[in-house]
Amino acid sequence: MQFAQICDRVEVNDGTGRPLDLSAFPGKWINSNPDTNGIARLVISESGGKLLVQVLAIGPDGLIDWGTTDLNLFAATPLSRIGAGFIGVYDFGFAETRLQGSIVKGLLVLAQFHRFKDGSRRVDYFVREYFAMTHGRY
Amino acid sequence: MDQNLQFKQSSHLHPALSDPTTRRWSADKLIGRWLNTNRETQGLAEFVIEQDGDRFNVSAVGVGTDGPIDWPRTRAKPLANLEEEAGQRAPALAATFDLGFMKAEIQIRVNKGVLVIVLFITFLDDSGRSNYVNREFFYRPD
Repeated sequence: MQFAQICDRVEVNDGTGRPLDLSAFPGKWINSNPDTNGIARLVISESGGKLLVQVLAIGPDGLIDWGTTDLNLFAATPLSRIGAGFIGVYDFGFAETRLQGSIVKGLLVLAQFHRFKDGSRRVDYFVREYFAMTHGRY
Repeated sequence: MDQNLQFKQSSHLHPALSDPTTRRWSADKLIGRWLNTNRETQGLAEFVIEQDGDRFNVSAVGVGTDGPIDWPRTRAKPLANLEEEAGQRAPALAATFDLGFMKAEIQIRVNKGVLVIVLFITFLDDSGRSNYVNREFFYRPD
């Protein structure tokens, strides 16, 4: 087994091929910052063992629906089968937004990489935002 | 800001994005050699960030069984870091290390003097290992 850091040298046995537990993700995730100019909320849903995200972002005249895109999923360790993070990409033509999410103690930390492709000379930028799932338990 | 610009969220129209000074990277807070704050790490022991004009390169050293493992020097893309809490003009960096059997897509930023790296690791070798996300923290030794 090849590895480039010792934490990746692990004994893989009965877990091989077992699907990831996706239960941490599906639901409506609300931005912790009510004054955001970025993403207001995410709706993550499961379909056929895959996860989809729908982004709703703040616009000058209300929410902008980005539609849905697939998420690539990540566990917390090479041996874990519990989903803990994801990567998703939106290509808008004039710009591309790459989302890198990870869940820490129920908080979704969402890193966003915005790259402009329209020659507008806007600088590409990075921002992180925080989201909590509405669960209605308390 | 030109109101004809296309956008998908209001922050796409943030005036700072069209301000040429935003593009003048002040990377002093990023450049150099960084060591993992966790001396018992089983992951990356060291991380190096270099700047050549507008270009950035990164390299890393993984902890191995028989000594350090060099990760290949890789181009990193700078992005303006608009986080309010940052209060600094240091860019964030995005890079992907391709090691053949795995790739590591990483985000790099400085927060109050700590280099924070988040790695999204994907195994490409059918070894059965789960792709995973990990976070490491680094300090400057000097």
